[in-house]
Amino acid sequence: MTAPDPAESRRLTTLVDMLQRAVNPPSEAELGLGLGALRARNARAARSKSWVRNLRPRGRPLLSAALVAALLVSSLLFLGLAYLRSRSSLPERLVAVDKIEGGELLDGGYLSETGDAGIQLSFNEGSSFALEHGARGRLRVVSAEGARLALEHGTVACRITESHEHRWSVEAGPFVVSVRGTDFEVDWDPTQEKLAVSLRRGRVAVSGPIVGDELVLKPGQNLTVSLPRRESVISEGRAGREPDARGATTPPQSRAVSGTDEQPLPAATASGEPQLKSGTSARASASAATENARAWREAIATGQWDRILADAERAGVATILATLTSEDLLALADAARYRRRGEVARAALLEQRRRFPSSPRSLDALFLLGRVEEQQGGKRLAIERYDQYLARAPGGTYAAEALGRRMILTQSVEGAASARRVAGGYLQRFPDGSYAKAARTLQQQPQAE
Amino acid sequence: MSNLSSRSRVPLVLVGSPAQRDVNDAELAKSLIAGEAWAETETWRRFAPMVLTMAERALGSKPEADDLAQEVFARLFRRAHTLQDPNCLRSFVYSFAVRALKSQLRHRQLRAWLSFTSPDTLVDLRAITLDVESGDLLKKFYGILDRLSPRDRLVFMLRRVESMTMEEIACTMDISVSTAKRSMARASSRLSRWVDSDPALAALVEEAR
Repeated sequence: MTAPDPAESRRLTTLVDMLQRAVNPPSEAELGLGLGALRARNARAARSKSWVRNLRPRGRPLLSAALVAALLVSSLLFLGLAYLRSRSSLPERLVAVDKIEGGELLDGGYLSETGDAGIQLSFNEGSSFALEHGARGRLRVVSAEGARLALEHGTVACRITESHEHRWSVEAGPFVVSVRGTDFEVDWDPTQEKLAVSLRRGRVAVSGPIVGDELVLKPGQNLTVSLPRRESVISEGRAGREPDARGATTPPQSRAVSGTDEQPLPAATASGEPQLKSGTSARASASAATENARAWREAIATGQWDRILADAERAGVATILATLTSEDLLALADAARYRRRGEVARAALLEQRRRFPSSPRSLDALFLLGRVEEQQGGKRLAIERYDQYLARAPGGTYAAEALGRRMILTQSVEGAASARRVAGGYLQRFPDGSYAKAARTLQQQPQAE
Repeated sequence: MSNLSSRSRVPLVLVGSPAQRDVNDAELAKSLIAGEAWAETETWRRFAPMVLTMAERALGSKPEADDLAQEVFARLFRRAHTLQDPNCLRSFVYSFAVRALKSQLRHRQLRAWLSFTSPDTLVDLRAITLDVESGDLLKKFYGILDRLSPRDRLVFMLRRVESMTMEEIACTMDISVSTAKRSMARASSRLSRWVDSDPALAALVEEAR
């Protein structure tokens, strides 16, 4: 490696080293595939060249004219796009949050409910988001162009004032509902990975797995998408509940928890499980911990892992765990993982599973528990966690990583014969995944061991 | 068999291309210019790993790197006759690859500008063999690299990751050595500043050290 520039910081040097190590040279098989593709491309080019040659004697002026026309059209398109973009940067009226009722906006845009009537978010240009009681979400962006809400679970009713200048969207799991001016309702159940969109007025476009790039709904249509069943259903009829009636509906959290195979994991499944304090003394110091919560979240955001861990231990891990939000629990788990504090990471992740069983982070926690067990040397426990994660989130964010890690651990624990079966499954689902090379190597190994 | 051998005493020889792995770059270049089919295969086998690895490191995406390599070699085979000195085949390939990379990075910037997609979503680290933590770290790093101009980014990558000399970089990118040096200094100091001023990234890097 070339010596770093004197102006280069140590951290940058570390990143460059990491980048160098991260990419492996292509395998013989990949090179062969690439060569095949190149030959096919050259053959296609040769065919089209001969076609152009046939046109030449009388076609040269024609081609030149076509080229000029194409250039003109592309220039016009470019100018049009530039114009649209400049228009989009100067909206008729800037969007801003006007009023929040029934909750408050915390750091990172997290919407925290203060009562039991849901949260009503009103914007200055007349649009509103109404989160039902129990629904959780995060206001990710409020910009001149509009706002983007990430719905973590539950139901939100949206009324968007029509405007050609503003773009609004609601994210729910892997789905995005994009709107310009409309009145609709979105329900997201992360445990069952089920999305429901009801459109009362206007037009919305839903994109994501199964539905594709842009599925447009008309007024009165209801869309239901189930990821585990891989099905989407559009039904006609009376659109979803009026937002005013939100208080009267079943809280989404209870609906999500019932009827699912999700069960909180046992509090102690592994050796080395944290010995957590509980009871009255822990509750007594909970208020102090809450007071510090804001400063603590800032520390998480700035990556002061040691400070976070020291604070957590000073206040008592059990106290902190009992008071933290779902997001903060995950952040604490991250801090502990990065500092190789397996027991704290495990406790935070288990607490996440216990207190927020219907949150998508609860599923992430399953995978991360596997990572923690791996770090701690518990290969069989890690395999169990990855299996649990894969059973509950087969299309989840970490599915490829979980299956890949499971394959590696299976090879180490049960031998290559068992790992080969996992490798087959991996290659079927993720032929271009990070572990594809390892899976192919495993499959190519001689069968007898 | 006995009949055959009695009719002819001439030894049987398999006629074909030279032992392809044994030819040097200059001989390979001459055969490539002459349009011999085996030379294209051998050029791919010899230089594609270098182009693919460099592109994947520079772009942070394997699919994009694959596409770019296809483009580079298709163009290279079409333009092989323009190679003046057959001894310079390697730098000839490099210059094609670097030009394509620069153009790809410019297109990315344009795409990000024209669409509402933020540049970091274009980075695809699926194929990079890392654990989740290191993957996150590199994704952030690619986000920072996206803030550099295509030229500064390429100079930095060629110097620091591909270990090229400043003279080689200048020659490959068709710029003067002093311009390459200025680009390198600018990229290095900006990246250092940006990496150090991102507390979350800095903490992760410290952990990874």
